Amino acid sequence: MPAIITALIWALPGDPASIICPPESCGGTDVLAARWNLDAGPWAFFQGWVSAALQGDFGSSWRLQQGVPVAELLTSAVPNTLVLLALSSVPVVLGSIVGARRWVPQRAEAFVQVLGMAPGLVLALVAAAAVELTYGAASFMGEGALVRLLAGALVLGLADGALSGSITGTRALFQSEDTQRYVGVALLRGERRLPNTLPNVAPALAGQLRARLLHLLSGAVVVEAVLRIDGIGDLLWGGTLLQDFGVVLAAATGFAVVSSLLLVLQAVVEIATAWHVRRAPAVPEHASAEAA
Amino acid sequence: MSGREGGATRWLAAAVGGLLLLGLLGLALTAPEHLPVPDLDAGYATPSELPPFGADNRGRPLLAYVQQGAQVVALPSLAAGLLVSLLGMAGGLLACAGSQRANTIIQAFGEVLGALPRMLVVLVVALVVPKDARGLLPLALTWAVLAAPGAADEAAAVAERLGGARFVEALRAHGYSGLRIFGWHVVALNLRPVVVRQGAEVMMQVVFLEIALSYLAVAEDQPSFTHADSLVSWADLLNLGYPALVLDVPTTHALVLGLSLIAVVAVVTLCAGIAARAR
Repeated sequence: MPAIITALIWALPGDPASIICPPESCGGTDVLAARWNLDAGPWAFFQGWVSAALQGDFGSSWRLQQGVPVAELLTSAVPNTLVLLALSSVPVVLGSIVGARRWVPQRAEAFVQVLGMAPGLVLALVAAAAVELTYGAASFMGEGALVRLLAGALVLGLADGALSGSITGTRALFQSEDTQRYVGVALLRGERRLPNTLPNVAPALAGQLRARLLHLLSGAVVVEAVLRIDGIGDLLWGGTLLQDFGVVLAAATGFAVVSSLLLVLQAVVEIATAWHVRRAPAVPEHASAEAA
Repeated sequence: MSGREGGATRWLAAAVGGLLLLGLLGLALTAPEHLPVPDLDAGYATPSELPPFGADNRGRPLLAYVQQGAQVVALPSLAAGLLVSLLGMAGGLLACAGSQRANTIIQAFGEVLGALPRMLVVLVVALVVPKDARGLLPLALTWAVLAAPGAADEAAAVAERLGGARFVEALRAHGYSGLRIFGWHVVALNLRPVVVRQGAEVMMQVVFLEIALSYLAVAEDQPSFTHADSLVSWADLLNLGYPALVLDVPTTHALVLGLSLIAVVAVVTLCAGIAARAR
């Protein structure tokens, strides 16, 4: 992500320092350019930022919380976002199970999809109002803060098609797999459907789940900002709004790291599935000839 | 559902969706350049006191909010929807062309874009776009590019189910022209449901994105990334109406109006999806 941002800044017409923070907002761009290695070209800037970031030095916030080290802001924000993401993935995983087991009748699918169209902002506003009405000023500490987090997770898990998408997406995946001949043969042999299809749909399922978790991560920006949850999304939004480039770069890196971890997780699931399939007993030649 | 019933539903959806869309575009075209002059006597006027939608806290009619909000989202959301539809169509057509290399390139492109959280990219674009070029259009187009791999994938899956290159060969054997094969049989008859639905969904997402970004900025008393300071958006209606949920402020009508506009956009999207369904 930092590489993309760097490329974007230098690809745009104009002085990089003025792009990062316009002179009317930040004053002298020469000082800014020297401070951020912007005057030495994109590579120097990128290399300097990455080598400092690898040592845990993300610089200091210059507008969002002036002078506070960005690493300190990240330290308090990352755990909240990870908890939010983990909690909000519960409805998504449950939706996948419901979709795989076909507990929601197909007739109700259109209704589920309509419900899933509710935008995150609207649900977050309702949740914020409910929390503020219940806890008042105490909603930012103790139980109130916990309820904020839970409400945020619920909103993320339900809004913008997160739950409905996982129900319908998983269902479609299994339905398409069920049309394969081996499933019919397995059913005739008295075997259950799911244990037969699961290893074959697992890679696609893992891909879908990663996309949905990424979607939750994206939605976390709005939910954290509305519910005032101190997370990376809120940090990213605050940094963007106040043109605090250091904070944005660090928060974007945080997002990119989580996204990369999801990719690794998907790869692990795919490898494990392939390993499981390879370990399955080989079909004897005469049996496969009979089946054909 | 019988074929006749299905046809009636599609026509009804097309009529409702088309009318609502035209209504929204009409509102956008008639939007005033600036909000009307405040009239404090009409402050918090309800829809019955100041038809059709009532007034804000300073007595300015909410109709102007609706019109300006429609103007802010109209062009960018249409452009984003169109871009996604075109890219989705391209994905489907390439799958019909049967080029392995093109498919690999598209897949790699889709994997890279798909790994980026959309909101993060949109915010980075919002940050780096020069102030004089700010507006919803660059953000909407960015959103569309990020959504395009999904649309292209789905369209490619449809084309593959159709038979891909073999389907095209079969039609060529009938002596059909390229335009008839790709334009009519592939796109109009088979890819249409997917590309129209994907385009409509992206249009809706762009409207919701604008509302979310503007609301968050307005709530912090900051200028929005999506429109000029002289304009207001539908997010201002939500911001105006939200205090009615937690405090005793008579702005429920603004909140209801804001939520109704969101519902209208969702209905247009649903109708577009239903109207474009395959026979």
